[in-house]
Amino acid sequence: MNKWLASSALAVLATVALMVAQEPPAQQDPPKEGGKGGKGGKGGKGGFGGGAAKAKAPAGPFTRLPDGHPDMQGFWNAANNGGAVFEVQNHPIAKRGVGAGKGAVVDPPDGFIPYQPWAKQKAAELFESHMDQEPELHCFQSGVPHQNFVQFGFQITQTAAHMVMAWEFMHSYRIIPTDGRPHIAEGIHLFQGDSVGHWEGDTLVVDTTNSNDKTWMDTSGNFKSDKVHVVERLSPVDANTINYEATIDDATVYTRPWKIAYQFTKVLTPNYEQMEFGCIEGNQDVTHYTEDVGGKSKVVIKPPAGKE
Amino acid sequence: MIRCLILMTALAGTLLAQATYKAPRTWNNQPDLQGIWQARTNANDSVEPHTAVLGMSAGAGVIVDPPDGKIPYRPDAMAKRNANFKNRATADPVGKCWMPGVPRMTYLPFPLQIFQSANYILVASEFVHNYRTIYINGTKHLPGVDFYNGDSRGRWEGDTLVVDVAGFNDQTWFDRSGNHHSDDLHVVERYTRTAEDVLSYEATIEDPKTFTRPWKIALPLYLHKEPNFRLLEYECHAYLEDAIKDGSK
Repeated sequence: MNKWLASSALAVLATVALMVAQEPPAQQDPPKEGGKGGKGGKGGKGGFGGGAAKAKAPAGPFTRLPDGHPDMQGFWNAANNGGAVFEVQNHPIAKRGVGAGKGAVVDPPDGFIPYQPWAKQKAAELFESHMDQEPELHCFQSGVPHQNFVQFGFQITQTAAHMVMAWEFMHSYRIIPTDGRPHIAEGIHLFQGDSVGHWEGDTLVVDTTNSNDKTWMDTSGNFKSDKVHVVERLSPVDANTINYEATIDDATVYTRPWKIAYQFTKVLTPNYEQMEFGCIEGNQDVTHYTEDVGGKSKVVIKPPAGKE
Repeated sequence: MIRCLILMTALAGTLLAQATYKAPRTWNNQPDLQGIWQARTNANDSVEPHTAVLGMSAGAGVIVDPPDGKIPYRPDAMAKRNANFKNRATADPVGKCWMPGVPRMTYLPFPLQIFQSANYILVASEFVHNYRTIYINGTKHLPGVDFYNGDSRGRWEGDTLVVDVAGFNDQTWFDRSGNHHSDDLHVVERYTRTAEDVLSYEATIEDPKTFTRPWKIALPLYLHKEPNFRLLEYECHAYLEDAIKDGSK
């Protein structure tokens, strides 16, 4: 991978924005709730990730680990679900840097985040005037559930006591204990929140609290507070497909809980490995991003020390 | 002499423990190294024996070869180290929140968590969510990569995990004192669980552009046993931004 591209989330974000401006991402209906065998990811014209999103012959059944739980290990890709990587909610009209798309919201049925009035206004303002605050631009981890539909893929590792998800993008990871332990103490706030998981049949249910308020739900200004509570459900469908849904509850921002759903598709490229993805090491060009993608407010960060 | 005796006693203790302890096995019948580990040394200040300075405690270093505990620098590389030391407050890559490299990630003052799968071992650090994937599936180093944290390929030698790390760039330091390397760096690490709560760590470091001969560090990593101990987050760059915004940096 080109070193300079890999070294800069900025460059990637700008590139993606450009691609979308030229060619809106393909639409994909979110999987029906509880549906089996989903559609298996239509090819996204944006072309992210390891080439997993092509139509394939039906995969075999998923295998199991020695403890009897489904084995979901492998490389997965979840980008390009109705353009959720850009905007998680329904965005029927293309706007600056974001092609039209349905997003990934399945409840409410209209696909829009049920914001409280002030919050709806704030989200719009963030998009219009404060894209310089876009968290990934600052190399922040993406938070939950946003992390699960960022560009590039991720690897799932399972042990007797944990599920780990490790992304190529900004080398983010989530460590999810599955051994019944409780959440960490209230008052600790993390970009990725604190996740604990448990099995309900073949579904891994992940409960996330302790988030901070520095991440967005996407790259378009949709946001949450540090009170957000997310419950995710990962249900393998076959060896190459996982149904994913997340219920997002934050009474300080939304009028009611809302839900996203889409699929993880296995990366089947032979010998696939994730590369190293630097971000802060090369992140010095916030000004151009702000000017190109829009943002009336001034850049507030300086280059890292010694790189002026 | 006393130090020598202490070292020998420690060594004998280690050997005895090694002889009697056998690590449990994972699902894949590998020696089980899983858990949250942390170094107790201050090698992150300097890997060499060092006197205290402001903000750095004194330390014996972690270099076991050469016996004098000093890095066998080539003359020009020694000059660069000395310049780095002078500029360490602004020039340390870890101070800029960059990836720490290997072996430094192992002895940063942050915990590491190890996970084992059939074909690879994942090592996650709390420091700026760095993680390493150590492939143990017989694959070779990728040609032409230059990674901050290198490209790690491992294999089991009995109960010892041996990891060959190459494909580095020249952008990381070994510690806060400016000890450095070129992009020819090659590190061979050895991990052996010598007791339930001790993971013995050794790394042999070579880089002909920078050193006159290979050198070696050794230190134990200790298992965290606190109830519900977890890797949390140290998102260095986010706090750096906050500090710049509020004028404290």
